[in-house]
Amino acid sequence: MEGKIIVITSGKGGVGKTTATASIGAALAMENKKVAVIDMDIGLRNLDVVMGLENRIVFNIVDAVNGKCKVQQAAIKDRKIDNLFLIPASQSDNKNVISPAAMKNFCKELRTEFDFVLLDCPAGIEQGFENSVVGADEAIVICTPEVSAVRDADRVIGLLYAKSVLPKLLVNRIVPEMVARGDMLSHEDVVDVLSIDLIGLVPMDDNVVISTNTGAHLIHNKQSQAGKAFRRIAMRLNGNADLPIEVPRAKKGFWGKLGFKRGRNK
Amino acid sequence: MEDFDSQTSDKKGPAAKLKGVGDSLWVTVDPDRSEDEIKEEINNVFQRLNHLAIGARVVIDPGKKGKSNELIDLLEQLLKEKYQVGSVSLPPEVREKQTNAENRIRQRDLDRSWYQYSSDVLMLTGRVRSGQKINARKHLLLLGDVNPGGEVVAGGDIIILGNLRGIAWAGQSGNEDSIILAFDFRPTQVQIAGYVAAGTSEASEKNPEFAHVENGTIIVEDYIEANPFGRLPWPKVR
Repeated sequence: MEGKIIVITSGKGGVGKTTATASIGAALAMENKKVAVIDMDIGLRNLDVVMGLENRIVFNIVDAVNGKCKVQQAAIKDRKIDNLFLIPASQSDNKNVISPAAMKNFCKELRTEFDFVLLDCPAGIEQGFENSVVGADEAIVICTPEVSAVRDADRVIGLLYAKSVLPKLLVNRIVPEMVARGDMLSHEDVVDVLSIDLIGLVPMDDNVVISTNTGAHLIHNKQSQAGKAFRRIAMRLNGNADLPIEVPRAKKGFWGKLGFKRGRNK
Repeated sequence: MEDFDSQTSDKKGPAAKLKGVGDSLWVTVDPDRSEDEIKEEINNVFQRLNHLAIGARVVIDPGKKGKSNELIDLLEQLLKEKYQVGSVSLPPEVREKQTNAENRIRQRDLDRSWYQYSSDVLMLTGRVRSGQKINARKHLLLLGDVNPGGEVVAGGDIIILGNLRGIAWAGQSGNEDSIILAFDFRPTQVQIAGYVAAGTSEASEKNPEFAHVENGTIIVEDYIEANPFGRLPWPKVR
């Protein structure tokens, strides 16, 4: 088995890396792939909480990389999805307990074990970023439609190119109403500056907060627009690259719906 | 006196000379001499050639001044009848080259300003992203974009065939004549020879614009309208 290692990064904090990692990982596992999601944010772990697995942690990434346990021991199986595994971060250690060389070897081992490995990169471009990127094949750069997030994403894209990792862009937290009013950058503006391939557009969704707090999977929520977007991103990663990218649209008012029913709204 | 005259005429050299050029015989005649003199000399030379002259290609070169076609026709007749040469012609290419030579000298005077000029331009392609910095010793030509947070610095001019949204510092050597030109001119900040101007966030009209120093301030103008170099009498090295 020759798996693919994808690092999910952004530069800026709080743009939705952890949520995206958990959701894309779950969606890939639903497509019958063996998936590992790895929390690289050593010292500030959250991915286990988002996935509702914090009470099952015995070993963590530091133990696995430094050979204190096997990959199979560190990987925690998800409660609901069979093919999904989590390798949590260590909460007590420091980011430099893992060296890039050791991480590279560990990535080789992971490739033989899983179809997809998603690395949840910490914010910033220091040691934690170096460790996450060193073994990766591809990268998903997450960016929200804000000027500061675009600036940081741009910096990260430059660094990824320098390490010959191919970056793809995910624009998160789009509020279509605000874009329509001109109060928010549109995804075109973001793509214009960053000029890399787009892998998906995810709208702002209150369901994200709900599922994060309860530890339930976002993609299982049928009403969640963000969940749908993440499922489509997973399909694109899983070989279905031509799947068209859906642009989040503002909800139509009463008259818009009426027009749609009468076939005028084209 | 007569001796003296004959000596000067001797110094002119023979009335006709022969040499082999490629696969043809090249006959240089002196058109100042009389026809008889030329004929005599040609007879002298071609008699020595014997059978070598039969079927040969002969080029008659009457020198720079040119000569009436009569002489050429006369010589052609003589050579064909008496020595059975193959063909007789004028040297056409050489004539054209000589008339062009003067023009070319004039052209070279015009071109001299960059004739032996090695380039001082750093020409790059691609996108300068946030956190990246490009330093050019003299001029910088970028086929690509400068993103917000990217920096381009040059000792001379900065020409960006694309979007400029980052920081551009031109004329670092103190050259106030330097310009910053971009297709889409929306920089965060520009600096020319120590003069600083903050960029505005307003969208440009998508026309190429350029910044230059005028009376101690930086001024941004539409490049096509202002056409700053259109009035130079001839192309100059910058």
